[in-house]
Amino acid sequence: MTDKGNPSAIAANLPTADKPSVFARIFKAGSWNTLAPLLVFCAMLLVVSVLNPNYLGPIGISVVTATAAPILLVALGQAMVLNIGSIDLSNAAIGLVGTILIALTLPTLGVSSIFVILLLLMLIGAVNGAIVAFTQVPSFALTLGTLGILQTVALVTSGSNTIYITENRQIVSVLYEQQLAFSPLTFWIGVLLAVFYWFILRYTILGQNMTAVGKNESGAIFSAIPVRRIKTITYAISGFTSGLAALSILAQSGSASFSGLGSNLLLPGIAAALVGGTSISGGQTNPINVVFGALTVAFVPIAIQASGFSAQAQSFVYGIFIIIVVALTTARSRNAVIK
Amino acid sequence: MTTGSPTVLKLSNISRTFGTVNAIDSVSLEIKRGEVVGLVGENGAGKSTLLKILAGIEQPDQGKMEINGNLVKFRGPQDALDAGIGVVHQEQSLFTNLTVAENIDTHNAGRTGLSKFGIQDWSRLNREAAVVLNKIGVHLDPKARVGDLSFIDRQMVEIARAVHVNKTATVTPLVILDEPTAVLEQAETAVLEREIRKLREFASVIFVSHRLDEIMRICDRVLVMRSGKLVSDRRTNDITKEDLFDAMVDEPAHIDTKARSTSPFTAEPVVEVRELTHKGKYQDVSFAVRPGQIVALVGASGSGREALVRTIFGAETHDTGSIIVAGKPVSRWSIRRAVRAGLAYAPAERKVEGMIGGFSAARNIALVHPGQVATGPVLRLRRMAQMAQSWLTKLGVRPNDISRPLAQFSGGNQQKVVLAKWLHASGLKVLILDHPLRGLDVGAARTLNIQIKQAVENGAAVILIPDTIEEALEMADNIIVMRDGKVSARHDLRQDGDLTLHDIVAEMV
Repeated sequence: MTDKGNPSAIAANLPTADKPSVFARIFKAGSWNTLAPLLVFCAMLLVVSVLNPNYLGPIGISVVTATAAPILLVALGQAMVLNIGSIDLSNAAIGLVGTILIALTLPTLGVSSIFVILLLLMLIGAVNGAIVAFTQVPSFALTLGTLGILQTVALVTSGSNTIYITENRQIVSVLYEQQLAFSPLTFWIGVLLAVFYWFILRYTILGQNMTAVGKNESGAIFSAIPVRRIKTITYAISGFTSGLAALSILAQSGSASFSGLGSNLLLPGIAAALVGGTSISGGQTNPINVVFGALTVAFVPIAIQASGFSAQAQSFVYGIFIIIVVALTTARSRNAVIK
Repeated sequence: MTTGSPTVLKLSNISRTFGTVNAIDSVSLEIKRGEVVGLVGENGAGKSTLLKILAGIEQPDQGKMEINGNLVKFRGPQDALDAGIGVVHQEQSLFTNLTVAENIDTHNAGRTGLSKFGIQDWSRLNREAAVVLNKIGVHLDPKARVGDLSFIDRQMVEIARAVHVNKTATVTPLVILDEPTAVLEQAETAVLEREIRKLREFASVIFVSHRLDEIMRICDRVLVMRSGKLVSDRRTNDITKEDLFDAMVDEPAHIDTKARSTSPFTAEPVVEVRELTHKGKYQDVSFAVRPGQIVALVGASGSGREALVRTIFGAETHDTGSIIVAGKPVSRWSIRRAVRAGLAYAPAERKVEGMIGGFSAARNIALVHPGQVATGPVLRLRRMAQMAQSWLTKLGVRPNDISRPLAQFSGGNQQKVVLAKWLHASGLKVLILDHPLRGLDVGAARTLNIQIKQAVENGAAVILIPDTIEEALEMADNIIVMRDGKVSARHDLRQDGDLTLHDIVAEMV
């Protein structure tokens, strides 16, 4: 209180100022952990633009954003679950089941198929969450189990075949073919969703409660926060978001199969959430940064290629790169200043 | 026992300060071989610090420590173990997934259970454990898993471990028992007493307990600590329990009780418990709190008062009896229901249960009742900031920064924020305070007490678990004394003005 009257103290110690100036706010928001995912992505762009500028044309952008779209959608759900201190290993499998079910029902049901399946996937997520909340099975173990179950469901419902959307295909393919700033709508759906989730976390009671559960579950319980309901809702969100990922895959490929496009999204999704600064121990995520996380994860293989590494070395470089980036962007607990 | 026995431990003018507090103030004492010495004192009298110094966890600022006539300086717990000092902690510290023999070996100075290649030599390990167990007269299988043993048997393993810390023949073991009986049933306590008598054949014992009758029964000599000083060192034959009370308790200069009105509380109780029982924790507890009333629950550790208030708040369960809130018996009681009924709880485990350390002060205050700073589901951050700011200013929280994570405030300021989070509820009816002043300095404690009294004037009822009896005498209208899970006395301070500390301590132990 005493340093309120002292301008130099305010300048030196911005966060204590009662009403920070616009500049102060930007500066405050610009702490390393908030900006790291963006800066890492920009740095990578810079490197590629120097090494091989051809990759950064309109086609390059559309390739990266199209690849990033399903990763982003899966990662957003994962980030929400990580934020409450749990993990959802089944989210990509939920998405896979979603692609197959939508591909099967879209020709007959049309648009309503999408709504029905999204609702169903949300319910699957909610069941995950309710089991975690009420039986206290560790989320890692439980969702590992549901991952297996859902893979079997995907295998059985698809009959191990690739399912082509024979009719009504344009309902979903428009999301991929329609572009805005060289990027497909599926990517922009992810961006909009990221902003929406960011809003939920920052500006709603629900979001505040979610983060509280992730930061300190006992503290949340003793503050009368409905922890079980919060967990169920969060997993339902993850299921729903995986459904949107399913949609983005169908829009791009026009077909669904057990081993086709989108069958391998779990780890890229987790990587994107982490590269986006999400804490794996809970209580820390920024969905908007997850967008940069997903872009980075989608761009790394391209950057590696552009940098002239041999095909054999790509996984190796990818692995090293992800470790370095997560080390750079993760909000560590000792940096408790970040809000 | 006999004055001719050699001295095992000798402390001369040992002192230890923490900041400005003299935790241990020039303590000198001597313990002879085969002696069982009691150590008593109120919470905060310095017992734990003294024990930590003996165990090598804390180092004294001043003074000399001699063991078996040799001057020693412990740099860490291992040095204390090497010197033959073994501690049996109140909270058991055994590895429940290991066997009895492995546990006994863990504190052993030479780690004789290991072969020279660092590999566990099971036959030698079990053989040596059997020798120790036999020595202290306990019949346990060294190969048994500690997790499968009963509580008292585990206590015996702890004692065996404490005895076994250094088995060199020249060292007389000094076994420190830190409130070992606090959690034991009566029959188990008898086992422990028998054990202590056996220990004196070859070891010296320091026995810490809140129960004075036990001390009188078991010990040869009693040391009394008060405010960091050793104020009495007498043989148990020469003194009475009453002498011990007098030595333990500081007579407070003046307790301000005149602020209390003498009119009886007429309103209906907001919370009442009837014959509430949780087996092993508390038994047949009944009391009621009315609007404007402060009820303090007083008792030593093991009195069950903490578990009792947590049950009232819905954080723990009970076996029989009933909780009546606003005139109706509750069923399927939970924290959520309790808070909806207007109950609030400031837990003793502040950092773990009382707050979200990573959240800003503002979000912590808004956490329980966010509706006041929200429109529907959407939080109004500006309104939240204003609300939080007014609380921080009102309670004098330093630094006065609502966006700072609560973990970065000092304990006293954290506690102010924890209180604010409950006080800002408009429907607050009952405030349950579990050691609200723990770790707080005088200034913060005063601010907190003023806020509590103000909440009471506004019609809230308070259930208080005070740190000290003085706190209870200063704040409460009624004092309920608990001992071993049962109510041992009740006082109405508005009727009974000249109640003294001694009376209450006598009812506690």
